[in-house]
Amino acid sequence: MTVCRLSGDAQPRLQGRETMIELRKVSKSFETRGRSVKALDTINLSVREHEFVALVGPSGCGKSTVLNMLAGLMDPSAGEVTYRGERVSGANRRVGYMTQKDTLLPWRTVEDNIRIALELRCRSSEAGERGARLREIIDLVGLNGFEKHYPSEISGGMRKRAALARMLIYEPETLLLDEPFGALDAQLKIIMQRELLRITRVRNMTVVFVTHDLAEAVTLADRVCVFSGRPGRIRAEREVLAAEPRDVVGMRFTPEFGALAEDLWNELKDDVGKELTT
Amino acid sequence: MTASAAPGKSAIPLATMLRSGIGLTIGRIAIAAALLAAWQIASGTIVPIFWISNPARILERLWSWAVSGSVWPHVYATILTTGLGYAIGGAIGAALGLVLGAWRRAERIVAPLIAALFCLPKIALLPLFVIAFGIDIESKVALVSVVVVFLVLYSTIDGVRDVDPDLIDALKLMGASRDEIVFKVILPSTLPWIYNGLRVAVSYALTTAVVGELLSSNRGIGYLIESSAARFDSTGVFAAVLVLVVLCVVVTEGLTLLERRALRHRS
Repeated sequence: MTVCRLSGDAQPRLQGRETMIELRKVSKSFETRGRSVKALDTINLSVREHEFVALVGPSGCGKSTVLNMLAGLMDPSAGEVTYRGERVSGANRRVGYMTQKDTLLPWRTVEDNIRIALELRCRSSEAGERGARLREIIDLVGLNGFEKHYPSEISGGMRKRAALARMLIYEPETLLLDEPFGALDAQLKIIMQRELLRITRVRNMTVVFVTHDLAEAVTLADRVCVFSGRPGRIRAEREVLAAEPRDVVGMRFTPEFGALAEDLWNELKDDVGKELTT
Repeated sequence: MTASAAPGKSAIPLATMLRSGIGLTIGRIAIAAALLAAWQIASGTIVPIFWISNPARILERLWSWAVSGSVWPHVYATILTTGLGYAIGGAIGAALGLVLGAWRRAERIVAPLIAALFCLPKIALLPLFVIAFGIDIESKVALVSVVVVFLVLYSTIDGVRDVDPDLIDALKLMGASRDEIVFKVILPSTLPWIYNGLRVAVSYALTTAVVGELLSSNRGIGYLIESSAARFDSTGVFAAVLVLVVLCVVVTEGLTLLERRALRHRS
């Protein structure tokens, strides 16, 4: 795999870390109207503990399907998905999953939605100590003043932020994020990216992050995987080494950053072009 | 306070007055008064009093019922029958609907049976209930329950089907147990549907109670109507129907008030 060093003094962050998530020769087909459509074709991917992996690729290339399989909400048609060495079957409770569609409960206020994970029995003992964190996390995602609103009363971007807060508050060891910042404006996006990096570093979280935004992928990830169009395959991987802590704004202005983004775009553009012409 | 109204005030055109809230009320009262007056005049002149009675007699009858207190046991019996049947039927319908909605295989097994019972005119079961529970209100309670069960059952099953599976997945990943999913996702999501079924069922419950009383009973407003009719006492029939109208309006309005309190997030 190509290693791209974004600054001279960047050190590898994940040496000696064990494999946390592994997809081995995974394929996935869907039945639609009696026809079988192959969404993913023989994917191999392994994610180490504490690693931040970004998946980029044209829409419909099966990136979300990968997340669904890691969460245990879908089974692979062929191959194997393992998490900490165990085969994933049924809902994987060690991950926090933020889907593209926000899954806030419409009958609960923003605040009650964010709190819900702490109400569950499996976590009730820790609820007290983390309860204080509610205010802090609402602050963090910028939803002050909207705590008592229902999801139907706030904008799409705010719903996304509420969903993010709901996931961060219970601190799962792995985050699966499907275009979490797609609906946000540029400034808020940068703030959220910075916070996501900070929280995941402090808590030693493992992250699999799906995005369309190449700059976002390079800014955040230790490794970027480029998917080809349907059926999805991993056509390129780049390891990104940058000085820690990462400066999510400053690093964009270095020539190395530009070169890597261009390199990734070259890998991606054939498929994107195909999508545009067909 | 400003009793010395401007002299121009009496010149407000009729149309403007009708459009205002007070005008609307006055208009309604005027129409009702005209109809009542026509009824009063027509009875005994155009149509024999025997057939249509008249408002004065009906009012007099209602007054005497209220004073003697003879009407209250009937009103009470109808309310009790409707209320008990509604509560029992609603609880069974919602519980059964949640179970069948969540447990697809069981639902598929019993679906034809439920569909067959649903299309049966439930009133046909009354003789059976009278044999089993007697002429008193229990047989009518049973009948009302059966009617309500089906209405609530179907809308509850639809509600459970309508629960967004992504919400269930989200809670599962957070570590929710099976019953936490039922109480934190399925039930709240289905509540508006259950409520809708219950709302529709109110008027059915009242109708069924009264029809049951008309056919075979020993008290209740339906019984009052039937026993008056059996004595060719049209005044008594009209008076009893009027009591029923009042009861129906009270129940419906009460329900609307309750509805406004709940379900804010749907607005």
